[in-house]
Order: sequence, then C-alpha cells, then structure tokens
Amino acid sequence: MMIIIALLLNTITSDKITGRWETKKSPKGNITGIVFKEDKSFECYVNRKPFTSGTYEMNADTLSFVDTGCKGETAKYRIIFFNNEDSMKFEFLADPCTERKEGMSRMVLGRIKKNLL
Amino acid sequence: MRKFIIVVITVLAIIALMSAFTNKEPINKAGLGKLLFFDPILSASRTVSCATCHKPSFAFADTSAVSRGFKNRKGTRNTPTAMNVLLQTSFFWDGRAKTLEEQALAPIENPVEMNLPIEQALLRLQKDSKYNELFKKIFNSEPTRENLAESIAAFERTLETSDSPFDAWKFSDDSNAISASAKRGFVLFNGKGKCVQCHFGADFTANEFRNIGLFNAKKWNDSGRMVVTGNKEDIGKFKTASLRNVAITAPYMHNGKFKTLKEVIQFYNDPSKIIPDAVNRDSLLLKPLDLSKTEQKDIETFLISLTDKRFITKKKQGNNSLIKH
Repeated sequence: MMIIIALLLNTITSDKITGRWETKKSPKGNITGIVFKEDKSFECYVNRKPFTSGTYEMNADTLSFVDTGCKGETAKYRIIFFNNEDSMKFEFLADPCTERKEGMSRMVLGRIKKNLL
Repeated sequence: MRKFIIVVITVLAIIALMSAFTNKEPINKAGLGKLLFFDPILSASRTVSCATCHKPSFAFADTSAVSRGFKNRKGTRNTPTAMNVLLQTSFFWDGRAKTLEEQALAPIENPVEMNLPIEQALLRLQKDSKYNELFKKIFNSEPTRENLAESIAAFERTLETSDSPFDAWKFSDDSNAISASAKRGFVLFNGKGKCVQCHFGADFTANEFRNIGLFNAKKWNDSGRMVVTGNKEDIGKFKTASLRNVAITAPYMHNGKFKTLKEVIQFYNDPSKIIPDAVNRDSLLLKPLDLSKTEQKDIETFLISLTDKRFITKKKQGNNSLIKH
C-alpha cells in the first residue's frame, strides 16, 4: 500500500513539473526557460536558445538531474511550488557544480500555458 | 468652422501617415548604431566601415584569414562574428574589452583597421547634419565617445540568432528539424568529442580562454590572452568562439588557419599532427580523440545545423550545400 501511495505521489509531482517554465525578464533582458518532458528529459534555454539538456527524476518533491554541462554530475534540488503551483523555485540539496548551483538557486520559474507559446 | 476643423484634422492625419511610411531615419540607439556600423565615415580614409570586415552575409564575420583595413593594411587576427554577442562577457580574441561598448570603439582607432582617432570621428559626426540631428534626437546630446559606443553596441546586441534547425529540434521539439547524422553529431559533441567542455552555453561558448595548441613560440607565436593579463599561464590562450552560424564564418581560429570545418575537426581529433611542438596546450587536448571519419562527419553535420534559417534561405537560392544539415 505504501509503495502504491509513494508511486502515486511521484506521478502527481512529476506531472506538476511537466511542461514549459520560464523566468521573468532579467535586468539585462534575458529569459531563461526549461521544458520538462514526459519522457523524463528536459531542455534548458536562454532567449529561445537551447543551452543544455539532460534527464531528470522526481522523487516526491526532490528533483534529481544530469545535464550536458558540469561533467555529467548529478544535482539534487527540492522544488518549492507556489502561486497555485504555477510558479516554482529550487532549494539546494546537493550539487557539485558551483556555477549550476548559483544559477539554480536564484531561478524562479513560471509555468507557460500552451496557448501562450 | 466645423468643416474647417475636419479638413485640418484630415490633412494632419494624412501628413502623419505619410511621414510614418517615408521616414526612414532610425528612431532608437540600435537604428543609429546600424547606420554607423555600415558607414565608412568612421574611418580615416572614408572607405572602411565596421561592415567591411563584419560582412552581414557571413554572419557578420569575414571570409579572409585576417582582414584588410585602412589602406589595405593587414590585420593580425581573424575577424570574429559580431552576432550573438548579448550573452558574452568579454570581447576580442584575447578578451581585452570587458564590454561591447569598449569593443565598439577600438577598431575605429586601430591603425590597421579604420585608423581614425575617436576625437576626429566625433568632429566628423558633429559636422554631419544628419548624424548631429539624430544624436540630439536620441541622446539629447551631440555625438560623444559614450553615445557613439552605446549606439554601435546597441545595434550589435540586436544581431541575435535563435532560429536554426538545431533550435527547432531542441526549443520547438521538432524531431525532423535535423538529420540523424546531426543528432549523432550532437551526442559526440557532448561526449567523445569533448567539444561541450569549452563550447557550453546558449551560444556554444563558455566564455573562457583556452590554449588549443596553436602556439609554439616559433612560427605560431601569437601569445593571446597573456598580453592582457600578464599571466604566463595564459600564453597561447584565446577566447572560445561561439559556434552559432559557424558553417558560414570560415576561415576558423584566431589566425584563420583552417579553411573548413572538416579541417577544424581533424585538428581537434589529433592536434599534435598539425602542430607537434605546441606550448601549453590544454589538458583536454593532450590525447587524440580517436574520432572515426563518420564521427567527424556527424559532428560537422551537427555544426552546420547551427546555421540560422535566414542564412540557409539565402544559401538555398545560391544552391549552396550548407542546407544539408
């Protein structure tokens, strides 16, 4: 029973992040975005320019991922949803890559509705 | 009286409409920067503009190994693309300019490029009624060193490209946008080829300086970044170039040594075959990559897929093979 509940929770959280997310425009005018896909891959971009991609897993509220940067090392962040789950930010858990950690820690993303693409 | 008011309003509306269609003057900094970028007024001989070396058809790069400027004088380094500079953190091959504004003025004064002291350039612009008026409109000031740099930099910041087949694949999730070979090339780029370790990011550069083995202190003696930092460890290091539109920015490297992407990939596959006595070559390139011919071709195909569609369309018209991404 516990396993079923855990799997169910996982699926629900996974579904919550699936889709396109973007930051607001930075003071320099840049917009960063991430697309979490159903096949557990993701794409990151800045100003519509892809800059890294990788695979991810969700375990309850914890996101684990590897991407093409940071020598393929795994990162773990807790996802904090807010604003009716239309916004999220990342809380550091483990990440050996300093630059990625800096980027993730200050990132706040808003969900992009499909009809806005 | 009512009729008169209606006639006046109609006439004013027509004048406003006509001026909207006929007024080709730039109305912002980038528009002014564009005018200046293409205008030889900023060179001593009035024959060289920024666009002389940064050719729009070639992604604002040059087709010569090194460009020729004032009185046909030969430069010492390859002209880099002026596109996709928005996210860059340093400029010139050795990174001596920290901002785009700083970069924008240097070629004007450089004796082998445009050879015009900025003070003289400003006098010319101040005397030119068109420019003087435009600067006053946009900056509420006559041309100055600062607003000249600001204008050109603002134009350069508009030269962003994000509509390549690769972008369509990754950003728009169009799995047919690039070929199977390009997709294999992307995997190699991120893995066996180690390319991503330097060419990481939205413009495929981590904005770092690396010595890739094109310095031997003899025939190949441009010491690059070291001249800027004074640090011996920086000898032979150059800025990692962006790879967006790389298929149309040949020749390659700081000295334009390689004429084709194929040559570049062959070099990276085993740099010591080309320059065996390189000094301070990056540790990433100490061992051959052992890429097969097919793998090298796949990486090349991937690199071609980074060409923005605006250039592919042009090349298509000229039956250029670049479209085979």
